[in-house]
Amino acid sequence: MRNVLRLVWFDLKPDLKPPVWIFAEWTIFLIQVGIYAAIISQLVTGVDNYRQFLAVGLVIMITFDMASHTGRHFVEHAHEGRLPYLLSLPVSRSKLFLSIALQGGAELALMLVVPLTVTLVLIGNLTWISVLACVLTLFWLGFGVAGLMLGLSFIAFKSSDLYTAIVTGLSAIIIRFSTVLYPFIFLPAQYASAAAFSPLTYGSDLVRLILGFDPSILLNPAYAVGVLAALSVSTLSLGLFLAQRLVEGVKSA
Amino acid sequence: MKMKLSMYALETQDLTKRYGKTYALKNLDFTMDENEIMVLLGPNGSGKTTLLLILATVLKPTSGQAKVMSLDVTTQPTKIRQTIGVAFQEARGFWRHKPADILRFHANVCGVPKTKRDTIIEETLKDLELWDARNKLFMHLSGGQAKRLEVAKVFVQRPKFAILDEPTSQVDLRGKRKIWEQILKLRKEGSTILVATNEVREAEYLADRVTILDEGKFVVCDTVRRLKDSIAGGDIVELETDVINNQTLEQDLGKIEGTVKITKMGANRFKAYVSMAESWVPKMTDLCYQNKTRILSIHVTEPSLDDVFLHFTGRALQEGSNA
Repeated sequence: MRNVLRLVWFDLKPDLKPPVWIFAEWTIFLIQVGIYAAIISQLVTGVDNYRQFLAVGLVIMITFDMASHTGRHFVEHAHEGRLPYLLSLPVSRSKLFLSIALQGGAELALMLVVPLTVTLVLIGNLTWISVLACVLTLFWLGFGVAGLMLGLSFIAFKSSDLYTAIVTGLSAIIIRFSTVLYPFIFLPAQYASAAAFSPLTYGSDLVRLILGFDPSILLNPAYAVGVLAALSVSTLSLGLFLAQRLVEGVKSA
Repeated sequence: MKMKLSMYALETQDLTKRYGKTYALKNLDFTMDENEIMVLLGPNGSGKTTLLLILATVLKPTSGQAKVMSLDVTTQPTKIRQTIGVAFQEARGFWRHKPADILRFHANVCGVPKTKRDTIIEETLKDLELWDARNKLFMHLSGGQAKRLEVAKVFVQRPKFAILDEPTSQVDLRGKRKIWEQILKLRKEGSTILVATNEVREAEYLADRVTILDEGKFVVCDTVRRLKDSIAGGDIVELETDVINNQTLEQDLGKIEGTVKITKMGANRFKAYVSMAESWVPKMTDLCYQNKTRILSIHVTEPSLDDVFLHFTGRALQEGSNA
């Protein structure tokens, strides 16, 4: 386990010296909530406190970005030539994947400290229970998204350009066709049917429910829990299976 | 069929790696003794790197078996990784890390005792002339420095079984010598070392034995001396003339007494394997004079590993395809 932690720290360390990208993400979040969300909430009449609704959505987007980054990290290791080296270290394959997952988790936690705290303060629900429930749900969602990106990594071994195009397009679709920015019940029928396939729909509605938003504008929580559980287990298993198969065939980066 | 318990540091049996229909390695059988330096010699695409990656448990073989220090690459990969140290052909990787940090991380993961770690790292960085670059970011290192850092990982680790893939490519002659000295030092301390290269000089300097690979297949394995001696005819005469594609000359050269073999090296260049160059060369000059062929240059040498490769494969070492 010590080697797993060494791998996590070795990969994470350069990002913290200095942690510019973390501060940048926090700053962007604060600008979004402080300016954009404050103004746009004046225009939205269908949802009470749209600013708070949007703040949760922004937290979900950060979670999605970081989780997809974690899934893609494996591909980066391959393309930047680190994968053969990592595979030759005296660490089992499962521990190597665990280290990538833990590093992603650590990055996600660092990224979320300020946005989640600000959101909970804005909503007036900064309690240990709400923090714990939100973090668990967000990590749960993160596992599903990371697994999805890992599952798509086989494309990167055929063509990194195609992989980038697919992941970028998919990311845009998954966010826009979801309830990250707007409640499910207000979505036109054709958008709603697409949003039903987005994992972010279930993640964001579950977090909002935990934080006390009006349940009438949210999805059924049991449904959301079921979908998130199925998603995280299936994509992560598939992603790990495919990644392990790919690893066996890796010649060089 | 299961292999018997290995007595060797390395043993492969029918080892095959296939990508689709292309064979990177085909039915490879060879062994290495403990504390030996074995050099794998072959052109690009001959399967050297594929073999090393299988032994490093980065790749899985398609079929066949390989054992490193009596451990099976397929069933005991993690144990093998605890035994080996690998320097890869491409020195790429942790762009935003510093050499000292990279070596410290590597030493920690590979279990180098903390009490010795910093001293070994400092010595290795100094030996390979990387000490001044120890706090530069990896992305700012030159190609030669990056390559030396790649090899330095193995010297810091001091594994029982070291795998070095073209350890001195991109490195200048001074750097090559430093690396070669470190490899010999590592062997002196008890390590078994497998080096892949396509540099003849490196092979001659380091090898206890040389294994020649070509197009994924085992060609021959022996000491450098024996490989050279295996070429019939003790001398090699390289001849360059002013006549292009002169087939008559090639045939006539083959008829001179003492000629073992004539190989065409280019449109107007020949390589003659002869038994006694001192009597063969005057006859050859007479022949050229009679044929009104001007000799542009003559070099008489003893066979090199290049010649050994040519002798066994029918191709020059540098003519290998890029695969």
